[in-house]
Amino acid sequence: MSGVRAVRISIESACEKQVHEVGLDGTETYLPPLSMSQNLARLAQRIDFSQGSGSEEEEAAGTEGDAQEWPGAGSSADQDDEEGVVKFQPSLWPWDSVRNNLRSALTEMCVLYDVLSIVRDKKFMTLDPVSQDALPPKQNPQTLQLISKKKSLAGAAQILLKGAERLTKSVTENQENKLQRDFNSELLRLRQHWKLRKVGDKILGDLSYRSAGSLFPHHGTFEVIKNTDLDLDKKIPEDYCPLDVQIPSDLEGSAYIKVSIQKQAPDIGDLGTVNLFKRPLPKSKPGSPHWQTKLEAAQNVLLCKEIFAQLSREAVQIKSQVPHIVVKNQIISQPFPSLQLSISLCHSSNDKKSQKFATEKQCPEDHLYVLEHNLHLLIREFHKQTLSSIMMPHPASAPFGHKRMRLSGPQAFDKNEINSLQSSEGLLEKIIKQAKHIFLRSRAAATIDSLASRIEDPQIQAHWSNINDVYESSVKVLITSQGYEQICKSIQLQLNIGVEQIRVVHRDGRVITLSYQEQELQDFLLSQMSQHQVHAVQQLAKVMGWQVLSFSNHVGLGPIESIGNASAITVASPSVRNGPESGSKIMVQFPRNQCKDLPKSDVLQDNKWSHLRGPFKEVQWNKMEGRNFVYKMELLMSALSPCLL
Amino acid sequence: MGVTCVSQMPVAEGKSVQQTVELLTRKLEMLGAEKQGTFCVDCETYHTAASTLGSQGWSAMVRSQLTATSTSQVQVILLPQPSQVAGIIGQTGKLMYVMHNSEYPLSCFALFENGPCLIADTNFDVLMVKLKGFFQSAKASKIETRGTRYQYCDFLVKVGTVTMGPSARGISVEVEYGPCVVASDCWSLLLEFLQSFLGSHTPGAPAVFGNRHDAVYGPADTMVQYMELFNKIRKQQQVPVAGIR
Repeated sequence: MSGVRAVRISIESACEKQVHEVGLDGTETYLPPLSMSQNLARLAQRIDFSQGSGSEEEEAAGTEGDAQEWPGAGSSADQDDEEGVVKFQPSLWPWDSVRNNLRSALTEMCVLYDVLSIVRDKKFMTLDPVSQDALPPKQNPQTLQLISKKKSLAGAAQILLKGAERLTKSVTENQENKLQRDFNSELLRLRQHWKLRKVGDKILGDLSYRSAGSLFPHHGTFEVIKNTDLDLDKKIPEDYCPLDVQIPSDLEGSAYIKVSIQKQAPDIGDLGTVNLFKRPLPKSKPGSPHWQTKLEAAQNVLLCKEIFAQLSREAVQIKSQVPHIVVKNQIISQPFPSLQLSISLCHSSNDKKSQKFATEKQCPEDHLYVLEHNLHLLIREFHKQTLSSIMMPHPASAPFGHKRMRLSGPQAFDKNEINSLQSSEGLLEKIIKQAKHIFLRSRAAATIDSLASRIEDPQIQAHWSNINDVYESSVKVLITSQGYEQICKSIQLQLNIGVEQIRVVHRDGRVITLSYQEQELQDFLLSQMSQHQVHAVQQLAKVMGWQVLSFSNHVGLGPIESIGNASAITVASPSVRNGPESGSKIMVQFPRNQCKDLPKSDVLQDNKWSHLRGPFKEVQWNKMEGRNFVYKMELLMSALSPCLL
Repeated sequence: MGVTCVSQMPVAEGKSVQQTVELLTRKLEMLGAEKQGTFCVDCETYHTAASTLGSQGWSAMVRSQLTATSTSQVQVILLPQPSQVAGIIGQTGKLMYVMHNSEYPLSCFALFENGPCLIADTNFDVLMVKLKGFFQSAKASKIETRGTRYQYCDFLVKVGTVTMGPSARGISVEVEYGPCVVASDCWSLLLEFLQSFLGSHTPGAPAVFGNRHDAVYGPADTMVQYMELFNKIRKQQQVPVAGIR
């Protein structure tokens, strides 16, 4: 054995300390190893004191036998000593099992080595390959996996399919229930939006505005009926509803109030023949049931009828300078001469015939939506007034009306007080005033815009105010020259457009009232533009250091202007006369010695007199360079001013 | 409502009522007054019927009638007179006057001679119809004055012909000074104005002013003055017959 190379054997003890606890971060807490006394106690507990010393002898004999077999592979030096000791070995030592394992491992290895050496010779032993089943191809394990997965998935699928079946069944049941929806649940939905009451065995509803304060005598009742024309054999239509509403026949269809302003006077034969353009119905909320749209349309028709009834009553009763004409479904009045305001109730039914036309025509362009909207607002305001605290509550014995009117009898009010109580303006008057204002405003805007596009030299700018009243708007008009805005800003006008007049406030404090005539505004603006030119020259002279000799806003000399007055300014040398119609006339003075046609006088002999200023000559203004009047003036003045080196 | 003075203008010598009215209106127009429509004040007389039920029964009956109609709104102005209550109940022959004034178009006045004056709304007339059992209308008792209404700055002048049935009995002149409501403060001003166009026929201070000269003047006082005027004219029944030609 000593010739054989030694094999290194690593020996590792089992874990020295037992793990008491593993912390959350992986640290191990070890149990403290047993001390000597503890170990001894543990071993002592193992000793079975009941057995005699015979067992000890047996044990001793057992160990002797083991000791003999011990090869002592690790330490050859101790071998001889150990043999001697082997015979007398009183107790087992801890490395005994290790020794046994090593011995058996050695034996095995030796046997293997021997067998391999014999097999190598092939004389006495040969290796015979063991027949094995052919190795399955690489996919085989995967197919197996696939099959097993499929099976497991099929099991899961089965469960899911069962569940899905159950769900579909319940959904279809629900669908069927929905289609055969309860009449009562639908009725409940209807009650959430509309007032219903039961009269006998009929269910009636109220779609009028009476509860909101209206005094219109229309009853506005609709009936709720069960929809029983359901054919169970055929497929149930999607929009099937077990409930149907029957609205009064005069509220069917859709209506709107058309308010328009026309310029031409009406032809007597044309009255009452308003084209009923069917306005496309406002889109109802998606998902709202058909009865809701039907009832809302009917309510709109009722409101339009009430508005028109109120307007026509006022048109007939109220005395005004120009009487209003009420023909069939149209009210015509003349807010301004040559202007016609027509308010008409357009009620179109839902016949199939009219629907054909509806797709062709669209809403007319002259319909003023603002006024229609305002009419709706005004009638609602009127409704609210009847419910306000000055009207309600009222004693049962008193007539319906304003609270103070009830006291007018007992407190002996005279006519002035009674008049002050009664509301001054009716719906028609208010709408006419609003229409007048709208028309005046649009016309003023058109006038200013046309002037701005037509005349380029002094520019006209209009800044409209965002905050307007129904009866008043305002606009600030500035007249400037391009490039000289900072110098020439003397013409700034504030126009307040009212119902019948336009009030102009000038920057210099003058207040002028213009009538509704369009020509007045135009003339006024033209005259302001002409004055601006002359003002501009004045400012320019100041800037350029020229002396202003005379300045007049309204000059009495020269050709008469048809609009406004001409204004003139004389600066040392160039002299300007500007009128709104005649345009501008600029004259320049030359010194006497440059004038050829001046007669020489005998009195003035000295040469110095020839440097005085001589007669004026007109400048050909259209040949001057410059994009606007002020620019041209500046060039002229700079050309004429002497350069001092 | 300002302080008002109601007086009678005697018919001029040798002229009819109509002519005197015309004279007066011409004078007013020369002063500078502008015509502002017409006016009318009328008066009906009722006397309380003899009550067979006694005082309590009558008031209970009246109460039930009032609740049955219940359409009239009333406001009572009590003039400080002692025997008002006693005057209403039980005594026969007491006269009640129901008057209307176009200046207060929605009101109706009911008054007793020295008693309370009631201001109600026009439904009071309907109520009177229901109270036919207790208030009987005197025969041919309706008296009224109609004429033109003139405005002269702060003064409102009404010159009217008093008629009873078809015949004209006299002329009533009413002058109201709008800005003032206390009689004693403006009586001298009123007097001066009356003198300017009535001349010698200017009346003295009305009795109503004497009673409550520091209190606020009200429409009821005007109606009392009219009632006194009408009574006076009624008593003058015989005289105008000779005057009219």
